Amino acid sequence: MRVHSPVPSPPAGPGRRAFLAGGLAAAGLALAGCAPAATAEAGRTRLRQWNLFTGGDGARMVAMHERYAAEHPEVDLRPTTYLWGNPYYTKFAMGAAGGRSFDIGTLHLSRLRGLGAGTLIDPVPRDLLAEHGITERTVQPNLWQKATVDGELYAIPFDTHLVVTYYDREVCAQAGVLDAGGELAATRGADELLDLLAEVKAVTGRYGIVMDTTGAWRQFWSLYRQLGGELTLDGELGIDDDKALQSLDFLRRVSEEGLAPPASDAPGTPANFQNGIAGLMLAGNWELPTFQDAGMDFGMRPFPDVFGAELGQGDSHAFVLPHRRDRDDEAVRAAVGYAAWMLKNSITWAGGGHTPAYLPVAESEEYAALEPQAGYRDAARDVQLDPEAWFSGSAGRLTAEANSVMAGVHNGSATPEQALRGFKAAAQKLIDTPAPI
Amino acid sequence: MTAPPAAGPPTGTDRTGSAPGPTRPRTRRRVDRAGPALVLPFALLFAVFLLWPLLAGLWTSFTDRSLTRTESDFVGLANWAELAGDPAVRQSLWTTLLFTLITTPPLVLIALAMAVLTQRAAGIGWVLRFSFFAPFLLPVAVVSLIWVWIYQPGFGMVNGLLASVGIGEVNWLGDEGTVLTAIGAATVWWTVGFNYLLYLAALQGIPAQVYEAASLDGAGAWHRFTRITVPLLDRTTALVVLLQMVASLKLFDQAYLMTAGSGGPDHAARPIIGYIFDTGFTGLRIGYASAVSYLFFAVIIAVSLIQFRLFTRKEGAA
Amino acid sequence: MTAIAQAPRSGTARPAPPAPGPGRRRRPRITPLGAAATVSGLVLALLWLLPLAWAVLTSVKPEAETTAVPLRWLPVEPTVEAYRQVIARGDIQQWLINSTVISSLVTLLTLVCCALAAYAFSRTAFPGRTPLLALLVAGILVPPQVLIVPLFDQMTLLGLVDTHLGVALPQVVAPVMVFILKRFFDQIPHDYLEAAQLDGAGHLRVLFGIVLPMSGPILAAVGIFTFVQSWNNFLWPFVATTDPSLMTVPVGLGTVQGAYGIQYAQQMAAAVLGAAPLIAVFLAFQRQIVRGVTDAGLK
Repeated sequence: MRVHSPVPSPPAGPGRRAFLAGGLAAAGLALAGCAPAATAEAGRTRLRQWNLFTGGDGARMVAMHERYAAEHPEVDLRPTTYLWGNPYYTKFAMGAAGGRSFDIGTLHLSRLRGLGAGTLIDPVPRDLLAEHGITERTVQPNLWQKATVDGELYAIPFDTHLVVTYYDREVCAQAGVLDAGGELAATRGADELLDLLAEVKAVTGRYGIVMDTTGAWRQFWSLYRQLGGELTLDGELGIDDDKALQSLDFLRRVSEEGLAPPASDAPGTPANFQNGIAGLMLAGNWELPTFQDAGMDFGMRPFPDVFGAELGQGDSHAFVLPHRRDRDDEAVRAAVGYAAWMLKNSITWAGGGHTPAYLPVAESEEYAALEPQAGYRDAARDVQLDPEAWFSGSAGRLTAEANSVMAGVHNGSATPEQALRGFKAAAQKLIDTPAPI
Repeated sequence: MTAPPAAGPPTGTDRTGSAPGPTRPRTRRRVDRAGPALVLPFALLFAVFLLWPLLAGLWTSFTDRSLTRTESDFVGLANWAELAGDPAVRQSLWTTLLFTLITTPPLVLIALAMAVLTQRAAGIGWVLRFSFFAPFLLPVAVVSLIWVWIYQPGFGMVNGLLASVGIGEVNWLGDEGTVLTAIGAATVWWTVGFNYLLYLAALQGIPAQVYEAASLDGAGAWHRFTRITVPLLDRTTALVVLLQMVASLKLFDQAYLMTAGSGGPDHAARPIIGYIFDTGFTGLRIGYASAVSYLFFAVIIAVSLIQFRLFTRKEGAA
Repeated sequence: MTAIAQAPRSGTARPAPPAPGPGRRRRPRITPLGAAATVSGLVLALLWLLPLAWAVLTSVKPEAETTAVPLRWLPVEPTVEAYRQVIARGDIQQWLINSTVISSLVTLLTLVCCALAAYAFSRTAFPGRTPLLALLVAGILVPPQVLIVPLFDQMTLLGLVDTHLGVALPQVVAPVMVFILKRFFDQIPHDYLEAAQLDGAGHLRVLFGIVLPMSGPILAAVGIFTFVQSWNNFLWPFVATTDPSLMTVPVGLGTVQGAYGIQYAQQMAAAVLGAAPLIAVFLAFQRQIVRGVTDAGLK
């Protein structure tokens, strides 16, 4: 969780050019989209924004905020960053319960239900959003659907982020696993992938691939969904044991056969990829700037097809309006206007690896030109969101429980059967816990 | 809200006796209407911000109250039954007790050593008073920032010093086995100054003649310390131990901040108050968190009563 | 803050009175033992100052130097850049103001409310006086930590979450202070006050004209203690405020993150700025603060 590097420098090469191009595009879009209604207000509107972004994402958000502030002198934007995960969501819930501490916040879409859509989180006025051109038709459909609870829109999706494959071009070229275009060759099925990893391992001398073994939920859910597995967490636990075991067994195999390290934690995984002990990495797309800044020659593509499809687990950062104790139309209007501006300018955000949720940006030429984002941009359409429950989602309790039992499959302290039993027991216990929602 | 300072005993020997004249036994005065009016402001605050939440908390512990809902249902003993079988309650309670056990001895012994050194050292009293007591005045967030930085793997001070003598790096706050000890060491540094002041005050109350007489008898320094100073300080020691234990049982702030709110790897540094915070505010379950709060309350009362017993027995024997 | 705890009502415990005795004025002869104590004292003091020194030294390094391996104590190119950045952000100033406002409010209200109540319990008789006093004394046993969950719930009901009043008021409820003051007032000779009352002075005039002026040291002790406690209080202000513009120093420093990730020099600069006021006050009023903390702590 701690970032050891000081201020991340702006991305070099194509990233910087994209940055500038994005800036120009954004300026144009903003000129067109600036709502006159908001500017008509006398005095400045205070807009308190909460987020959980530090590191590269934090720096990008600051850059966007600086531009937003420059373009909106009538809005007094006051962003606050809290520590990612539970500390943020705790403050979020308490602030929303108090009903007066902030006007708009970022949220993992997977946490929407768990944080009280309808109680702690107010609905987004669709008409207001539509004034800015943000509608069902201009936002990634799977996210829009997830943001809708009981027919009401509760969140404005900002991006998609998901587990993808990173590959070291130099290593992969030596291993002969690049295609004619210099991209990592696509594989089909577990055996093809394992063969490829073995060839990469022969080059590195250590491992073929690294992945965060302390965050195995992401890998598990990707594989399980590739098999078409369903997980229901309502009343009775519904899980397909065979498919779950098959997925866990794959994690066991890569580690046991020495193709992946038995233990590699969240900060250690990108470090391991960077220092070359493996040629491939499974990780979230948000690690992208780290390697770009380091000047690595690397490429990215979707999560590999192990069980029939290139599906990867992911989530979405979204904007939500916290519950307010006292009605304040002006604040809501400013908040919605801000979110719309952020969506329209999300090409900057895309520089950090996230895929924009706003379709006009996601389908723009600027975005198509971004490398290595182009290697996985379509994966966002099929992102595998977490199962639905008040305790699921990013930094949620189900994820934590799953990570804790599944780490054992990688390091050999638990068989897939044991891990599955542990996961089912933990999940059932969460299901039996009285829902606070 | 923070712990109020020590409630002292209602005895006649305290320094407030400097007020002139003898203390008169309380006499029954005529009924006075001013009394209730004067008590009112405090009593009102007491009722609203202590009694009400205390009773409301008890009631809430029998409901499924949540941070996200306005209405809640009576669920009887469900929360209490859940609490009895909750391994996280046991783990966090044990963490709290373990922390108390490992921090109380150094917090008492180091404070005593500091006070004795200050007493004996010539001419540098204020330097020592400042050095030993200043950390106590730091806000907990400052203490946590400094110590997280000191414990940092890679380029922190502790690992840097260890590396310079050839000892390998330890991930102090990231390892299940060391995280509580690391927080304990930071706590000793931070709060020992308070106990030190209590000891210093007590030492200054020992008349010099006592030592002089012992010196004439040929008693050595160590002898004088163990046979005279320590026994004369035993009441202070009892008070310090008592205050310290109750204080350590209330561990939360530095444990929360130094683990970035996570409670450490595998919750190895999440005390019972941390669990109350996690269930109530992170987990949104106000009802269940209230039940855990009452369990904590019971522990504090039990420890206090046990100590009170030991304390009075000792006093009686003295 | 964890150090200062409430003692159970230990009726017979007697902390050794730190009365100024002859021992205080004794000039230590320069003996080998005294010299050894001086040296060990200095060594221990240096060890105790080391973390503070490390923090201050880090705060004047350029960000890139803070993570140098192997560790270097002194900055190669000392700079106040980190301080400039922190001050430019403005948070810490706001938090210092909030801390000052809240701690002053808490101290003032505590002194007034507790003194009034203590006087009433000490000097007036009214029905229900004894049970009420017993109830307040029992309140000493309630650790404030037990109340955070229901209190937050109650504050949402009262609409006091994210207000200075919501942070301050629960901190005023320190029954132990009533108790300390009452014991002091009990010892003021009754004749004194009766004479004044016979002259027709009301309770308030007796309290403010006679009792309080005689109670300077104990009021100072209670005031200093309350202020320090409130200034460094973390848990309740942490629970009661989520809006950064209302946070106190400990809460703000502990929760709000720099958007750029962790920058050690800036963190240490913020820590130094957050710690400085109380340390400065301590340097100026060392004797009074030591006495205040000891007195209120021992009572």
